[in-house]
Amino acid sequence: MLALVFKNFIRSKGTKVGLWFLLIIGFISLLIGQQFQQKQNKNITEAAVYQKEHIVRNASFHKDEMGLLLYYVKFSLVNKTFPLNSLAIGQRDVNPSVQSVTIRGLEGQKYDSELNNPSNLLLGNLDFSFVLLYLFPLLIVAFTYNIVSEEKESGTWKIVATQSNNTFFYILKLFCIRILSLIVLLTIILFMAALLLDIPFKSSLLTFYIISILYILFWFAVCFFIVSLQKDSNFNAVILLTIWLFLIIILPAAINTYIVNKYPVPEALELTLKQRNAYHEKWDMDKKTTMDKFYRHYPQFKNYGIPAQEFSWLWYYAMQQMGDDESAKQSEELQEKLKQRNQASQTIAQFIPTLHTQIQLNEIAKSDLENQLLFMQKTKAFHEKLRLYFYPKIFDNAAVAKENWSKFKVETFEDNSQTNLAKSLLPLLFFNLLLIVPGWMNFRKNQAVM
Amino acid sequence: MSLHLAILIAKHLKNSAFKNKAVFIITLFISLLLVYAVLSGWENYTNQNQTSEKYQHESREDWLKNPDKNPHRMAHYGNFAFRKSTSLSVFEFGMEPFFGNAIFLEAHKQNTANFSEAGFSNSMLRFGEISTAMVFQILLPLLIFFLGFNSVAAERENGTLKLISSQGINWKQLLAGKTLGIASVIMILFLPAVLVLVFIWLLLQNFSISFDETLKMILFVGFHFIYLLLFCAIAVLVSASCKTSKKALISLIGIWLVFTIILPRTTQAIGAYIYEAPSKIQFNSDIEKDILKQGDSHNPNDSHYKAIKDSLLLVYKVDSVQKLPFNYSGFIMTEGEKISSKIYNKHLENLLHIYEKQNRFSRAVSFLNPYIAMKNLSMALSNTDYDSYIDFQKKAESYRYDMAQKMNALQIKYISNQKDKPAVIDKNHWAEVQEFHYEPKGVLSVLKNEIASVISLFSWIILLFILIRLASKNLKAI
Repeated sequence: MLALVFKNFIRSKGTKVGLWFLLIIGFISLLIGQQFQQKQNKNITEAAVYQKEHIVRNASFHKDEMGLLLYYVKFSLVNKTFPLNSLAIGQRDVNPSVQSVTIRGLEGQKYDSELNNPSNLLLGNLDFSFVLLYLFPLLIVAFTYNIVSEEKESGTWKIVATQSNNTFFYILKLFCIRILSLIVLLTIILFMAALLLDIPFKSSLLTFYIISILYILFWFAVCFFIVSLQKDSNFNAVILLTIWLFLIIILPAAINTYIVNKYPVPEALELTLKQRNAYHEKWDMDKKTTMDKFYRHYPQFKNYGIPAQEFSWLWYYAMQQMGDDESAKQSEELQEKLKQRNQASQTIAQFIPTLHTQIQLNEIAKSDLENQLLFMQKTKAFHEKLRLYFYPKIFDNAAVAKENWSKFKVETFEDNSQTNLAKSLLPLLFFNLLLIVPGWMNFRKNQAVM
Repeated sequence: MSLHLAILIAKHLKNSAFKNKAVFIITLFISLLLVYAVLSGWENYTNQNQTSEKYQHESREDWLKNPDKNPHRMAHYGNFAFRKSTSLSVFEFGMEPFFGNAIFLEAHKQNTANFSEAGFSNSMLRFGEISTAMVFQILLPLLIFFLGFNSVAAERENGTLKLISSQGINWKQLLAGKTLGIASVIMILFLPAVLVLVFIWLLLQNFSISFDETLKMILFVGFHFIYLLLFCAIAVLVSASCKTSKKALISLIGIWLVFTIILPRTTQAIGAYIYEAPSKIQFNSDIEKDILKQGDSHNPNDSHYKAIKDSLLLVYKVDSVQKLPFNYSGFIMTEGEKISSKIYNKHLENLLHIYEKQNRFSRAVSFLNPYIAMKNLSMALSNTDYDSYIDFQKKAESYRYDMAQKMNALQIKYISNQKDKPAVIDKNHWAEVQEFHYEPKGVLSVLKNEIASVISLFSWIILLFILIRLASKNLKAI
C-alpha cells in the first residue's frame, strides 16, 4: 500500500517539477554560497598580502619617526568566516569581515562600513537559508493542501474510505511520504553543500540539519492541521498561503519595523560628533590638561612627563586617546542599545517559527548581529593591545628598523560561542506539537464521519 | 450600451464580493496594516530627519566654534554629510535601511557612509519591512488574485457562463466588467488610503509643498493605480482561461509568487553572481597602488613632487621652498588632493559600473515583471533608490573636495613658509565653507532614469489589452 501511495505521489508531474525546482534552486544557492566563501577567503588572503606590503613600504618611508609611521600603518583583524556561513550568509554581506585600524582613535574607525551595492542588500542573498525558509514551505503547501479535499472533490475519497480500514492511517501515510521526500531532498542538498563548501561534519552542521528538519516538520504540521479541518481545496490553498504570507513576510517585517522604531540609535551620530570634538579641541588646549588625563588612564607612562616641544608624538597620541576616552560613554550606550535590539528580536522570534529559524541558523553560521557585536568588542581589544605595545616605542622614539615588523600578521577572531540547543530547538518542537495534537484530534473526531 | 453592461457586471461582482465574510476580514486587516505602515513610516521619517538635522546643525556649530588655527587642521577636523529622507519615503522605504546615514568628510580621505540601519540590525531585517508601498505592491495584488480567481472560472463551473453568453453579453464586456468589478472593490481600499496618505504627506510638510514633490506624489499614486488595474486584468484573464477555479487560483498564486518573491531576488542574485564586485580591501589597495604610481607626497624623494619643487624654485628664482612667496606645503597638498581624488573617482566609477551591471539584470527583467518595474519606479520617486544614494555620496564627495581645497587655498595664501610666525589663520574664515546641503534628484531626472520601468508598465497595459482582445475571440463558454 505504502509503495503504491509513494509511486502515485512521485509519478505526478507536479511533484516532479516541484522537487526538481527545489533541487536546482538549492544547488544554485550553494553556488552562490561558494562564491561568497571564495570572496571572503580572497579578501582575507588579500588583507594579509596587503598588510605585509603596506607595513614594509611605510617602514621604509618613515624610518626616522615611530610616531609618524604608526600614524599611517594599519593592522587588520579578520572575523573568521566558517564554511557553514555560506549556507546562511545573514548579515555578513552588510558588515565588514575585516577591520583595518591604525592605533589612532578607534571610535572614528570601527564603524567603517563595507563596500556594497544596496540593490543586492535590499533584495537579499539567494543562499540556502532563503531556499529553506521561503521555498520549502511553498512546496510543502503545494504537496499537501489538497490531500483529502482533492479526493473528496473528485469523488474518489469514498473508494479510499471503503478500501482502507483506517482512513486516518492512510492520511498519515500520505503525509509521511511527503515528509520523507522533502527530508531526503534536504539531506541531498546539505550533503552536496558539505562536499562543495568543505563544511566539516561536526556538531554545528548537525544542529543546522536538525533545525532545518524541525522547520520543515513545522510546515507539515501547519498543513496537517489545516487539512484536518476538512475544508475544500481552494480554502486550504488560500488559508495556507495566507499563513505563509504572515509568517514569512508580514510578521517579520512588522516586528522589524517595531524594533527599529522602538530602539532608535541616535547614539551613533552623537558618538561620532563627540569623538571628533574630543580629539580636535585638545590641539587648542593646554598640553598639561591632556597629558594629565592621559596619565590617569595609563599611569604606567607617567614618567614621560609633559613634553616641552611645540609638537610631540606623545602629546599627539594622548590627544587621539582622548577622542576614545571622552566618547566612551556614548560608545557603550550604543553597544548597549544594539544588545537590547538583538535581545528583543530574539525574544519575540521565539514565538514566530520562521523568524526563530532564521535567527538560529544565522547564529550557528556566525552571521548575525551577535557575531558582529562580538567582533567589534574583539576589534577594541585588538586595538588596545597594539596601542599598549606601540605607545612606549613611540614615546621613546624607538628605531623603526629595530622593530621586527614581519611579526605583525593579520590576526583572526574566531567566534566559538556555543549555541544553546534547548533555546534553538524547543520553540520549534513546541509549535510542532501545538499543531499536530489538535490536527490529530480533528482527524480522530471526524473519522466516523469520513 | 456595451459599457453599460460591463458596469452592470462590475457592480454585481462588487456586491457579491462583500457578501463574502473572508473578503471583508482581509480588507479590514489590510486597512489596519496600512495604518501601521503609515504610522511607522511617519515615525521613521521624523526620527531620521530630526536626528539628521540635529547633528548636521550641531556639527556645523562645532565647526564654526573652532578657534584660530591652521587651515589644514580644520581640513582634518572635517565636516559631516548626514542623510535626510524625502517626504515620500514615509510611504516607500526602498533601500533606506541599507544606506549609510553619515559620511565624515575630511582632507585626503574618502570615508565610507556609515551607520546604516542594516548594520545595527540582526537578520530579521532581511525579511523586509512593512511600508505603504509594500502593501500596495505585494499585498493588494494578492488580494486582487483572491478576489478574481473565480470571477470567470466559477461561472464556468456553475454553468452560469453559458447563461450569460446566451443573454447577449460578449466576452469583451464580460472581461472588462469583471476587471472593473475587482478594481472597484480594490478602490474601496485604495482611494481612502490615498486620501489619508496625501493628508499625512501635507501635514508632514506643514502644507507647504514644492512643485517637484507634488508631481512625485501624483506620479506615485498614479502609477500604483495603473499597477493595481494591471493585476485586476491579469486575474480575470487567468480566471477566464482556466477550466476550474482551483486551477485559476493555483496559477494566480504561482504568478504572484514568481513576480513578487522569486524573480526579484533570483535576478539580482544572478546579476551579483556574474558581475563580481571587488572587496573593500582590494578596492582600497588598488587606489593606493595607483596613487603611489603617480607619486607619494609623503615621500621626500618622490620624483613627481621633486619635479614640482624644482620647477617652482626655478620659476620664482629662489633656492629653497621657504623663500617662496606662498605656502609651499599648502601647494603640495592641493596637488596631492587633486591627484588622489582623481584616482579615487576613477576607481569609484569602475566600481559603480560593476554595480550597475549587477542591477541591469533585474532592470531587464522588469519588462517581464511589473512588480520590479513598479518597485523601481516608486523607490526612485521617493529618492530611496540606488541612484539617489549614489548621487548623495557623489555630492558629499564633491563637497569634501571643495572643502579640502578651500583649506589648502587658505594655507597657501595666509600661512608663512617660515616657522617664526604662528601658523594659524583667523577663525572668521571657517564660515567661508558653506554648510553641506543636499537636494534630492528632481522628478524629471528621476523619470529619465526610470524610463525602462515606465515603458515596462505601459507595455503591460498594451499587452493586457491585446490579450483581452485575443481572449474575447478565442475563449469558449464551456
